[in-house]
Amino acid sequence: MQLRIIDIIKTNFAVTTDDGDRIFDLLDQNFSKKNPVILDFEGITLMTTAFLNSSIGQLYSNNKYSSEFLNSNLKIVNVQEQDRSLFAIVVKRAKEYFADRQGFERNTSDSIYGSD
Amino acid sequence: MKIVYIPSKITSDVNGYELLLRLQSDLSHFIGEDIHISFKNVYWFEANLVAILGAIIEDLENRHNRVKIIDAEYFRLKNDILFRNGFFPQYGITSSSLFSSSTQIPYMKFKEHEPQLYNDYIQSELLDNKDFPRHSEKLGGEIKRNIFELFENARTHGKCKHIHTCGQFYPTRKKLHITIVDTGQTIVNNVKDFLKKDMKSSEYIDWAMETGNTTKVGNIPGGLGLGLIFEFINLNKGKIQVVSSNGYWELREGKISKHDLNFSFRGTIANLEFDLTENNHYSLADEVPQFDIIF
Repeated sequence: MQLRIIDIIKTNFAVTTDDGDRIFDLLDQNFSKKNPVILDFEGITLMTTAFLNSSIGQLYSNNKYSSEFLNSNLKIVNVQEQDRSLFAIVVKRAKEYFADRQGFERNTSDSIYGSD
Repeated sequence: MKIVYIPSKITSDVNGYELLLRLQSDLSHFIGEDIHISFKNVYWFEANLVAILGAIIEDLENRHNRVKIIDAEYFRLKNDILFRNGFFPQYGITSSSLFSSSTQIPYMKFKEHEPQLYNDYIQSELLDNKDFPRHSEKLGGEIKRNIFELFENARTHGKCKHIHTCGQFYPTRKKLHITIVDTGQTIVNNVKDFLKKDMKSSEYIDWAMETGNTTKVGNIPGGLGLGLIFEFINLNKGKIQVVSSNGYWELREGKISKHDLNFSFRGTIANLEFDLTENNHYSLADEVPQFDIIF
């Protein structure tokens, strides 16, 4: 399945959390049916971490998809040169964020229920 | 009826913000009143800061006050910028034979659920403006990204009714100033609630500006937007000032200043200055990633 971002969000600015959410929902639907996806950024001239956090970073929530699964099933194409490093930053941050959150929730649970 | 006078000089420094915050504070107990805001004494008002005045007026109107701007013609004799940037016309005051210039990025207010209109605004006022100073494509892209990151931050964290924005560029000095104001949750309260720790207000803003720090708790990660703006402004040798509640935080020429102000703003003000002459290499990461194994 090929998803063209510009056809979905109807603008060449991939900047809002809401638009990122729409992309995440489509990815999630396809992955739950075991469909690999090619995510095509052709024509996208501006991108923010806010958009990438909700579209890509959210894939790591609740340990839903592993790095191995995503490397095999999600191919990202036609990203502008200047936006490429944003992906690495967002993916790294998402992994840290959910690892921290698990730690936070475990610590909270331990302090309420005890760790034994 | 209550008449309040805008002070004679409003600039983007601690003193200028204090004066505007004091104005909001002085009017905070008015409900359902007629309030006239006079420009009679003003001889200088930094154009993009009308975004703050617009937010203060919104705050008054939310409490059913009827607000009118008066004595605009006095200020018109000194400078017509607040006509040209659409601020006075927003409140029904127009003027003919204005100085012909398009260095202003008009005053606008956007509803929280209207990000597309903001996209259109930036496209038409910044990107398609033929008078905007020449600059490298790479720098232009990074400036736009930073403006959108900030707007999105205000939209998602502020939980506000409107976001007020206004800008001004200076072709000779090659600077772009842009101010984005929301009247929602303050950074100070968001961080205080999250950390559950007592600190000075400016320290809460300092925490929020650090990459990786976020008050988000849902399934969408955060903690990048403000941190990346910080890093970019540092490289660009620009300026960013953030006022939230009574906290004041500034990064200018690589130096951070923090103050706690005497008055509080019910929302968050972000004022940015970009240097359009800078030709630094604005790399966000050390290496361009391999997309085959990006995850």
